Amino acid sequence: MHGKGSATPGSNSARRVLVVDDERAIRLLCRVNLAASGMDVLEAEDGRSGLELARKERPDLVLLDVMMPGVDGWTVARELAADEDTRDIPVVFLTARADAADKRLGEQLGGVGYVVKPFDPVSIGDFVERVLSRIERGEREQLRREISSGRER
Amino acid sequence: MTTVEGSDAADRARRLQRVAELLAEAVTPEQVLDAILTEGVRAAEARAGSIGVVSEDGERIEMLAQIGYPPEVMANWQEFPIDAPTPMSEVLRTGEPIFISSVKERNRLYPALADQGQEGHALVVVPLAVEGQVFGGMSLSFDHDIEFEPERREMKVALARQAAQALARSRLFAAEQAMRERMTFLAEASELLASSLDYNRTLRRLAQLCVPRLADWCAIDMVGADGAIERLAVAHEDPEKVKWAYELQERYPPDPAASRGIPQVLRTGEPDFLPTIPPELLEEAIGEDDELRRIVDELGLKSSIAVPLIARGRTLGALSLIAAETHPPFKQADFELAVELARRAAVAVDNARLYREAERGANAARALAYVADGVVLLDRDGIVRHWNPATAAITGVSEEHALGRPVAEVVPAWEQLTSHVPLLAPGSAPRPVTVPIVLGGHERWVAVSGVSFGGGTVYALQDVTEERALEKTRSDFVATASHELRTPLAAVYGAVRTLRREDIQLSEDDHAQFLEMIESEATRLAKIVDQILLAGQLDADAVELELTECDPAEIAAGVIESASTHVPPSISLNLDAERAQPVACDPNKLRQVLVNLVDNAVKYSPQGGEVVLRVESDNGSCRIDVFDHGLGIPPGEQSRIFEKFYRLDPQQTQGVGGSGLGLYICRELVERMDGTLTVESEPGRGSRFSLVLPSTR
Repeated sequence: MHGKGSATPGSNSARRVLVVDDERAIRLLCRVNLAASGMDVLEAEDGRSGLELARKERPDLVLLDVMMPGVDGWTVARELAADEDTRDIPVVFLTARADAADKRLGEQLGGVGYVVKPFDPVSIGDFVERVLSRIERGEREQLRREISSGRER
Repeated sequence: MTTVEGSDAADRARRLQRVAELLAEAVTPEQVLDAILTEGVRAAEARAGSIGVVSEDGERIEMLAQIGYPPEVMANWQEFPIDAPTPMSEVLRTGEPIFISSVKERNRLYPALADQGQEGHALVVVPLAVEGQVFGGMSLSFDHDIEFEPERREMKVALARQAAQALARSRLFAAEQAMRERMTFLAEASELLASSLDYNRTLRRLAQLCVPRLADWCAIDMVGADGAIERLAVAHEDPEKVKWAYELQERYPPDPAASRGIPQVLRTGEPDFLPTIPPELLEEAIGEDDELRRIVDELGLKSSIAVPLIARGRTLGALSLIAAETHPPFKQADFELAVELARRAAVAVDNARLYREAERGANAARALAYVADGVVLLDRDGIVRHWNPATAAITGVSEEHALGRPVAEVVPAWEQLTSHVPLLAPGSAPRPVTVPIVLGGHERWVAVSGVSFGGGTVYALQDVTEERALEKTRSDFVATASHELRTPLAAVYGAVRTLRREDIQLSEDDHAQFLEMIESEATRLAKIVDQILLAGQLDADAVELELTECDPAEIAAGVIESASTHVPPSISLNLDAERAQPVACDPNKLRQVLVNLVDNAVKYSPQGGEVVLRVESDNGSCRIDVFDHGLGIPPGEQSRIFEKFYRLDPQQTQGVGGSGLGLYICRELVERMDGTLTVESEPGRGSRFSLVLPSTR
């Protein structure tokens, strides 16, 4: 299912995705599979460096883990939203926290997607592409609301 | 032929004197009767004589004794009405003696007696009276006709006076003796009744006491709670007959609606006394049942008394007595005794029941006082009628404060507490509803169930705050554990999915990393699962330690060595161990504890820094410290981190992976090695975990 609707490699500008996760394994999975979808992948291993990288690199989308030592994912999302320079960067939570309450929080913090681990990394590129396309079509608010209405991807 | 009595006055006086002497010696009524009928009749020169007395009810004349009459004649005159047309009846009615000179005269005066035979001659009936009260009569029959002269008449009257006095005296004596016996019996019975609160057993023994002294048969029937008649006891001297009576009762159960006998006594509370059981009554009961006729004939029922056991206006049962094969028919005195006996038995039963009720009440009160659940009784107006100590503990409102007041005033949150509680009918399965309630500033969870009955509502309250907290801890643990399992699962699953992609070519390095990832993350999964299992085993006390003497410094060195292979480069891991004294421990478990402490120190040092493992011997014990310069632990939480499922940061938002079990397992293991595990920490500056084990030297 990769490929379908994904960014065409070699198109004028590749999607740039920032993966923030303290788990090296998850970062590796995202890097390899997003790259396979033709995206450029930036990595941060904790919240603090994730914020720094986001501000510096202005990625097209952030895949954000929640449970991290130090600055956690919720804080990262909150700070990104609070900063005029970064508030438009779409955030997709990628987390082991599957409670409805967590999803509601993710929605409140302005996330545009909520992926619960374990997830299928093969389709993560398609998923990111679809999210970005819909945002370009002006469906950002709708995506946000879909988080707690049960549609995870 | 009429003759004139020839004896002279002196002779008569002598004979009277002789009778008087004999009567003076006689004590019992039998002795008196014997003296009158032998010496008296002889003194009067009569052929035959008889003594009759007025019955208790004054209606009849009962023949006490006779001499000289043919048995077939007397058989008809054992008992006859006081208004019968006979000389004896007339004398007893009028108190005047009757002198009849011949049968001819008798038949003229009493035509009804004409067909009683033409035998016989002169006849005298004189009243037996004491202090003007006629109580009987004496008849004398002669073997020839006599025209009684006044002197002779006087002699008969004098004889009767002597006889009357002697008889009255002896009867009084007998009555007194009988009274004494009754009193003795009543005293014995009272003692028996007072002997025990087990009134069923006591009543059975009372029935036994009644036979054969009071009756041939004694039965006690009680009214059950459902109004049914329950035979409690049947007594007869012969146990075989008792058995037989019970069989009879089985075969012919009493009709509770019967218009006679025990059912009627129980129904009306009125006694039933039959001095003589009328044959027609037996006939009516027997009907056409030949078997029953045989039984009734065999029983030989003569006389019956059934008296109710009444206490405080309630008929509790009935005591019945039957005179049959040996006992003489019952008299008024027997009946009165039975009434008195029943009265005392009823009081005893009532007392025993009251005592039991009081005892039950006291036990119920004790149960309510000590039961762990709150019990609240509200009357129909919602006024608190019972408020047990557990309720006081749960609500924080004392009994004195609650009793007699509307519950809504006593506990303002009552409405909230009970609004969702279904009010059940008595006997329904309880359906407690658990509701949160803030009482005295604390939130408590209370399981409430309510039962509504005629007199109001009773609520049971159970403080389930602890259970709920535990339940929440458990469900939190399940959630936490599942979170923890998700990340390594994601890695393993994701790696396999990625490796199977055919559309991309993985670099050799990536390929190797994925394989390594599968291996390490699967190991991590196994470790988490192990911890969950180990915690369960520790809970069940199913972990066995193998304590041996070992060198803690050596174990610490091994831990540092293996940890240094995978700590982040920002962490500086150091061992500070002198040659330590040996300790008694399970080396594998000690290693496990130290690995866990070092891992924690590393995990909670996200900014990196130094993690030190120090081993030192001190005063017969070995102290192992693990300290870091990491996040630290807030003071309020330092004592809680060893609790099972407790996580330093339950939301885990800052958290580092873990099952919430690591420190719990560590402390449990250390304590099983007779050691202690404690922590000192300052938030933001790091933590120091100290493990102390006793040295073997």
